[in-house]
Amino acid sequence: MTRYSLAIDIGGTFTDAVLLASDGRTFVDKTLTTHNNLLEGFFRGVDLVTGRAGIAAADVDDVVVHATTVVTNALIERKGPPVAIILTEGFRDILYIREEHRYDMYDPQIEFAEPLIPADRTFTLKERIFADGTVGTPVDRDAVLGIIAECRAKGIVSVAICLLNSYRNGANEEAVRAIFEEEAPEIYVSLSSVIAPQMREYLRASTVAINAYTVPITRPYLTALIAELKERGFRQQPLIMLSNGGVIGAERASTMPVRMIESGPAAGALVACYFSRIFGIPDLISFDMGGTTAKACMVQGHEPLVTGTFEVDRRYRFKPGSGMPITVPSIDMIEIGAGGGSIASVNDLGLLKIGPESAGSMPGPVCYGRGGTDPCVTDADLVLGILNADRFLGGDMQLNLSGAEAAYDALGETLGLSREKAAWGVFEVVCEQMAAATRTHATERGIDYRGQPMLAFGGAGPVHACMVAELTESPKVIYPPLASVLSAFGTLVTPAQIDLVRSHVATLDTLDWCGVDTVLNAMIAEGATALGEAGIREEDFTYAFSAEMRYVGQQSEVRVHLENDPRKTRDARAIKDLFEAEYHRQYGLKLDGMNIEIVNWLVTASGRQPERDTGTVPTEGTRGTESRPVHIRGEAREVPVWQRHAITEGDRITGPVIIEERETTIFVLENWVVTRHDSGSLVAEKTGEN
Amino acid sequence: MDGVELQILWSNLIGIVSEQARALQRIAFSPIVREAGDLANGLFDEQARMVAQAVTGTPGHINSLAAAARNLLDSYDVDTLKPGDVLITNDPWMSAGHFFDITVLSPIFRGKRIIGYAGSTIHHADIGGYGIGSGARDIHEEGLWIPTMKLYDAGKPNETLFQIIRRNVRTPDALMGDLGAQVSSGIIASDRLNALCDRYGLDDIAALSDEIIARSETATREAIRKLPGGTYHGESQFDVPGGQVITLKTAVTIDADKGEIEVDFEGSSGPSNMGINVVPAYTHAYATFAVRSSLNPDLPNNAGSLAPIRLKLPDQCVVNAKYPSPVNARHVVGMYVPFPILKALAQVIPDRVVAEGSGAVWTIQIQGKDRDGKPFTSSMFNYSGGMGARAAKPGISAVCYPTGVSAVPVEVLEAAYPIAFTCKELEHGTGGTGKQPGGDGQRIGYRMRTGQPWLLNTIPSRLKAGPEGLLGGGDGAAGVFRINGEDVTDTRKREMQPDDEVFMITPGGGGYGAA
Repeated sequence: MTRYSLAIDIGGTFTDAVLLASDGRTFVDKTLTTHNNLLEGFFRGVDLVTGRAGIAAADVDDVVVHATTVVTNALIERKGPPVAIILTEGFRDILYIREEHRYDMYDPQIEFAEPLIPADRTFTLKERIFADGTVGTPVDRDAVLGIIAECRAKGIVSVAICLLNSYRNGANEEAVRAIFEEEAPEIYVSLSSVIAPQMREYLRASTVAINAYTVPITRPYLTALIAELKERGFRQQPLIMLSNGGVIGAERASTMPVRMIESGPAAGALVACYFSRIFGIPDLISFDMGGTTAKACMVQGHEPLVTGTFEVDRRYRFKPGSGMPITVPSIDMIEIGAGGGSIASVNDLGLLKIGPESAGSMPGPVCYGRGGTDPCVTDADLVLGILNADRFLGGDMQLNLSGAEAAYDALGETLGLSREKAAWGVFEVVCEQMAAATRTHATERGIDYRGQPMLAFGGAGPVHACMVAELTESPKVIYPPLASVLSAFGTLVTPAQIDLVRSHVATLDTLDWCGVDTVLNAMIAEGATALGEAGIREEDFTYAFSAEMRYVGQQSEVRVHLENDPRKTRDARAIKDLFEAEYHRQYGLKLDGMNIEIVNWLVTASGRQPERDTGTVPTEGTRGTESRPVHIRGEAREVPVWQRHAITEGDRITGPVIIEERETTIFVLENWVVTRHDSGSLVAEKTGEN
Repeated sequence: MDGVELQILWSNLIGIVSEQARALQRIAFSPIVREAGDLANGLFDEQARMVAQAVTGTPGHINSLAAAARNLLDSYDVDTLKPGDVLITNDPWMSAGHFFDITVLSPIFRGKRIIGYAGSTIHHADIGGYGIGSGARDIHEEGLWIPTMKLYDAGKPNETLFQIIRRNVRTPDALMGDLGAQVSSGIIASDRLNALCDRYGLDDIAALSDEIIARSETATREAIRKLPGGTYHGESQFDVPGGQVITLKTAVTIDADKGEIEVDFEGSSGPSNMGINVVPAYTHAYATFAVRSSLNPDLPNNAGSLAPIRLKLPDQCVVNAKYPSPVNARHVVGMYVPFPILKALAQVIPDRVVAEGSGAVWTIQIQGKDRDGKPFTSSMFNYSGGMGARAAKPGISAVCYPTGVSAVPVEVLEAAYPIAFTCKELEHGTGGTGKQPGGDGQRIGYRMRTGQPWLLNTIPSRLKAGPEGLLGGGDGAAGVFRINGEDVTDTRKREMQPDDEVFMITPGGGGYGAA
C-alpha cells in the first residue's frame, strides 16, 4: 500500500510543493506565492502535485508539513490589529530604550525599527519580583481589571506581558493571565516567562511583543488551514515547521508564532543535516543562495547549530541592530544580503561593492528584461557565460544577454576593466562576501570551518558554491537533487521537536538538585504534551538535555550537551568536566580555580526521525559534449556543458564544467572533479593545487 | 592592485578583526565588556599603522588603540620580539587615557618575520586605587600603573607581573579572565592573518596595507576638498561633577587645497584638579570621530583616514593632560569633545552634523557587602541621555552618543549585584524643541538590597545647564541627581546607608532648527 506525504513551503516569491510516495516516486512543483491570501497558493500547490500523481486528497495518509513566511510578512507589513503590552511600573519604555546602543558608531543618521506596540497601548502594573525570584510586590487584581477595561476600550485583541525578573519566577505574570482568562477570555495573552524565559528585559519584551503581535494573524490563518485540509479529506492535522528545525502541531504552533519566523530557512538547514547523514559526513556548511539573500548554516555532528537570539525586520540599510531582536531557539543561520538580484556598484574609494541593494524579482536583474538597469550578480553570471540565456528555467524564460553586457560595459568603464573582467570581479567579490560572512559566523561559534564540505542549493547556490568553497577551504561541494524545492523536502525529513529553555542560575558547587528536578520536570511535561499533539506515539518520545554554563562573572554562556539525564545522575563533577572540555575546544583556554555556574537548562523533546528519502532520480537526457566559452579569471575558455540528469555513476568529469538543470546551473572550477553519488547528488571534489 | 583584488583582501582583514573582537566579547568576564561593549580591536601593519578595526567598540578606544600600538612599539626594539610575545600597558598617555583601559598587543609572525600586530583595549572591572570616579587628587591615587612590558615572553607568562596585578585589584578573577580573553583574541588574529597570506600567496601585508591606507587617505582628503575652506569656530560648555563649568573651544580650519582639517583647542579650560583631564590620544580619538562621522561615515577608520585630521592643543589645557594630573573620569570631558567641532562644522555641512546631546554617559560603580556579608565591587555601568537632533531626523532618546557602548540590562545587574532598580523610563519633554526635537533623557532610580552601608561612585554631568540647541533649536533639559530626594552636586565617592535611594534624570538632547 503506497503512502503519501506532502510538504508545502511558502516563500517570498514561490510556493513550493513536494509530494513523496512511499514507493519512491517524487512529485514537485512551484507556483507563485499569493500574498493576499496565502492559502490560495497553498492549495494551488497541493492540486498541482496531487494532480501529477493522480491521487485524491484522501490518499495523502501520511503527514502534511508546512513551512511559511506568514509571520515574517506580518512583522514587515505591520498591518496587524491593535496589541498591548503590560510592563512593570517604572519600566514603561523598555521597547523604546532598547540597549541604549548605536549599532553603527560612525553613522549619525541611524534609525531604529519603531516598536511594534506604541506608547498608548503600553500599560504598567505595580508589582515586583527580585532577581533571586522572591516576590517583592504581588499583583493587584483591581489594577489588572483597570487595564482590562482600557484594553477593551481600545479594541485590543492580544496582549503581551513582560514583568521584570519573570525569567526567574513567572508567578506574577501567571497571576495577570489568570485574571485575563476570567474577565476577558477573548483577548490572547502571551507571557514572557513562557515564550522566552531568559534574562535581559529588552530581549524578552521584544520577543513577547512579537508573539502577541502575530498571534491574531497566525491563529486564524492556521485555523483556516486546518479546517480546509479537513474539508478536502486530508487525514492528518498539519504540522508546522518551526525556526528551531522541528515540526509541531498547527494548533500549538498558532499560540507561539514567534517560533515560526525562520520556518522556511530552517527547513533548508534540516535538509543539510539529512544529506550529512546520507553521506556520513558529520560536519558541513549548508549554503542556500536565492534572489535577494544567501543563508549559511554550520552542521556539526549531523545537527544544525542552534542559537538563542536573532533579529527581524532590519530597517536601516539592512544593518544588524536596526531590527527587532528575538530570543527563542532557532537554527543558527547567517543571512547575507547577497543574492542573484544584488546590485553591483563602485563606491567612493573606487572599490567594487555588491548589495545590499537588490533588484529583487521586480524589476530584477537587467537580463530579466523587465526594466532593470543596474548590473546584478545574475547579469554577471550571464555575461561570463556561466548561465545560458536560452536555457533559464528550462528555456521558459528568455534572458536578455545584450542588456546585461551593456550594463557590464558601463561598470567596467568605471573600474577601468573590461566587461568580462568586471563581471568576473562581481562573481569573485560576491563569493568572497559570502565566504567572509561564513568564516566570521563559524569562528564566532568556535568552529574551524576549514576542510568542511559544503552543501549547495537554492536557485543561485549551485552557480557560486564552488568558488565560495575555494575561499572557505572546503574540499568538497555536494549538489543535492530537488535543489529548487529542497526546503519543502526538508520539512518531510524533520522530526517533531520542541526546544525548551529555562533560566535557573546556580553555581555547580551549590547546585540544588530538587530545584533542578522541578525545572526539568516542567519542561519535560510541556514537551510531552506538544509531541502528543503532533501525533507522536509516547514510546517514540526522546529527551535530550543540555546546559548553558559559564565561569562565574562571565556574561556569555557555553552550551554543554549532557549525555545522561541529569535528574538521574545528579553528577555535578561530570558536568564540570564536560564544560571545561567544551570551553577549551572553543577558546583554547581552561581557567583553574574559577567557580562555574549553570545559567539555563535546555530540554529538546523530539519524536523519531522520519524515514523518507528524495525518491529515485532517473538518468535521462543526452550525454553531450556540448561546450561554450566562459570567462574565468579574465580568460575565455571553452567549457564543456552537461545536462545534470545525463550524468551517471562512474562518470568523472573534470572542471571547469557547467552542469545545467531546469531551475539552476552548477558551475565547477578547474582542479575540481564531479561524480554522481548514489543518492542522486552530484559531488565536486578538489583535486590538487591551483 | 585593482579594486576587485583589494576589496577581497580588505574584507578579509576586517573579517579577521571582527572575529578577534567577537571572541574577546564572548569570553570576557565583566558586564562592561560583554554587555556594554567597552572595547576595541585593531589590526596593525609592521609599521604599527592601524589597517583595520572591528565594527564593535567605542571611538575613544579604537582611535586611542591606534596611537597605543605606535607608542608600545616605540618603547621596544621590535627586532628583539619573539613569537609568543605579548606586550601590555595601561599607561594613560600611551593608550586610552586611564588605568582601567589595558591595551594588549601581540606581534604576528609569519615564519621568522613580523608582518603585523593584533591589538585590543578593554575597560577592566577594577584596577585598584580610587575606583570609578573623579575624586582622586593625583594620578597615583587612581590605581595600578602598568608600564610597557611583556605580559608573555615567548609564550611564557610574566609571573611577576601577574602576581602584582592580582594583589592590587579588587576583582582579580575578572581581570585575569578578561586579560586572558585579550591574549586569546590576539592568537586568533595571528592564525587568521597567516591563513589569509597562505590563501592569497602573500609573504606579508605591506603592499596591501599601503594600498588600503593610501586609498583611505585619498578618499578622506577628497571628502575634505569638497568643503569650503576657512576657519570655523564652535564652543561648548558643560558642568562636571563638583559643579565646575568646563569650556571647550575649537577653531576648525579646513584646508580645501590640501584636503586637511586642523582642530585647535585654544581658549578651552585649563587643567582640572579633578580626575577629568584628558590625555591627547583620547582627545584626538573623539575629535577625529566628530570629523569623520560628519564627512562620510562609510569611509573606513584607519591610519590613512585619520592622517588628514590634525589637532593643536594648548600646553595648559583640560584636553592636554600632563603628569601627575588625575585622569580617571576623562570620559566626562572627552565625550564632549565632538560638540564644539560639530558646531563649527554646522556652518559648513549643516545637513550632516548632530546637535549637542547629553554627551558623556553617566557612569556608576557600587561597592559593599550583600546580605550574607559577602563583599562585592561592581564593574562600571553607564546610562545615556538624549542624543541631539539631526537636520532631517529627531535625536534618538536614551542612546549612547558619541560613545559606542551599550547599557547593561537591569536584570543582568540585579542578578550580579545586590541592587534593585525602582525605575528606568524615558523622561518625556527633556529633549529640546525644534524643527527636529532632541532625544529625551531617562529617569533611573535604584537602591541596594543590603543591611550594611555601601559605597557609591557616580559621575553625572550637565546638572546645571542642558545641551544647547542648534540653529534655532531649543536646549535639552539639564540632568538631575538626587539621594533620598535631595539634590547632590558633590559626587565624590560617598558612603551610603542601607535604605538610601538614588534617583537621576539624564539630560535631554538639543533640538535642531527653529520649531
